[in-house]
Amino acid sequence: MRVVALRAVILLAGLAGWELFARLSNPLLYVPPSAALPALERLLTLQSYPDLLASLLLTLREIAVAYVLAIGAGLAGGFALGLHRVVGRAFGPILAALYAVPAVVWYPSLMLFFGLGEASKIAFGFLLGFFPITLAVLAGIRQVNPHMLVVARAFGARPPVVFAKVMVPSMLFTLVGGLRTGLALTVIGVIVGEILGSRRGMGALINHAYGLFRTSDYVALVLVTLVLIVGSDALAGLVERRAQRWTA
Amino acid sequence: MSDRARVRWLQALSVLGVLLAWEAVARLGWVDPLFVPAPSAVAGAFTRIGRGALAGLGDTLAKTAVAYLLSVTLGVGLGITIGSVRTLRDVLSPFVVVLYGMPKILVLPWIVLLLGFGTTPAVVYGTIHGLFPILVLVMGGVRDVDRNLISVARAFGASTWQLYWKVILPAIVPTVLAGMRLGIVFCLLGVLIVEMFAGVRGMGYVLGSLANGFQAPELFAATALVSVASIAIVLGLDALNDRLSHWRG
Repeated sequence: MRVVALRAVILLAGLAGWELFARLSNPLLYVPPSAALPALERLLTLQSYPDLLASLLLTLREIAVAYVLAIGAGLAGGFALGLHRVVGRAFGPILAALYAVPAVVWYPSLMLFFGLGEASKIAFGFLLGFFPITLAVLAGIRQVNPHMLVVARAFGARPPVVFAKVMVPSMLFTLVGGLRTGLALTVIGVIVGEILGSRRGMGALINHAYGLFRTSDYVALVLVTLVLIVGSDALAGLVERRAQRWTA
Repeated sequence: MSDRARVRWLQALSVLGVLLAWEAVARLGWVDPLFVPAPSAVAGAFTRIGRGALAGLGDTLAKTAVAYLLSVTLGVGLGITIGSVRTLRDVLSPFVVVLYGMPKILVLPWIVLLLGFGTTPAVVYGTIHGLFPILVLVMGGVRDVDRNLISVARAFGASTWQLYWKVILPAIVPTVLAGMRLGIVFCLLGVLIVEMFAGVRGMGYVLGSLANGFQAPELFAATALVSVASIAIVLGLDALNDRLSHWRG
């Protein structure tokens, strides 16, 4: 109880301090909370940015396409590497090395190749989501108990049955975790892509507000985008808990 | 043929195969060389961008080094403080988790607005990027230090200073190393993003302006340069990590 009270005190003190500091120094630059709330209202009633819904839908569509592609390629890549020993040992280290590169270095090339539109954001979101999914499949395959595979085969289970009844259930836990991380990174990838250069979508609105020094609108847009990000992760978390209960 | 040799062969052959196929596709004119230059053109571009790109890389790595130093110092210091004091940990954990999970890209425009273009926003943003993974790991590591070790040390009359220096610090060395391994990529990522968004120097700026100028061979060469540099840094840290954990036993 005391802990919760202390947390609330810190939060309120932080907001109050911010409000005070912003008012005393430069309200335009530091956007006090009292200015952010009206801006949020203007944004949500479509006064400041009438194309908010279209932008939100575009960003969501980019995320959805990138995520579906990342799941497909990640599962395919992961199983190809995980089920074949030599292939896995040959390409696993290459994949790990590429994962160590900060992904944003690929973005200018993607932008050159796919242009300023949706395609480059989808490609970047896909790239970010692909790695954790592939790595989760690899880790999941390593978790499968080899004895169970032997027993299943000894009892005459054919490869598709072994795959569906033995492998997938025992790696589901790790796999679903990887899918959740993949979604989070896909979302970040699309938004980073939009902020680094786009004409439409939430990132473009954020850049527009920032470029015109409409700082309170910028804060409002950031809050809306944050809801989108947190919401997608909460949804993934729900699915994750479902899957965990199913395996447990 | 042994497995090891087969793996090496497969790696070499596939890399070579991809390069040859790419060269062939580019030469045959199946792709527009304006967007997808042949590997030979990329190799030629290395000499053209050489000096400028190396200067940019040096600039980026210097910023990253400062950001990294700051995030490790702050991350480990705050992590030990928050992790070892029960009340602080209980009260502050949710704030740390929220800040850790919050996509930093959303505050980037604001940071640039506050700090302008140049070195400072890159260092600050790189630090913010690297700090939280290290902080979260170290907090967890300190929380999970074996309680018995602490009770025994206390029972034998260890002072608070000795408790931190002789018990907690050695116990969290692996966690700190893991955090440092994770942090470097985040710092580099943060610095590069700022340079792309609002840079006037550095590798991110070089990459961005090459893309805007449609100089595809130079862009690919510069991308390869940063990639190799970051892979080398991470592998170097891994090797250091191995050696240190070996030494610790």
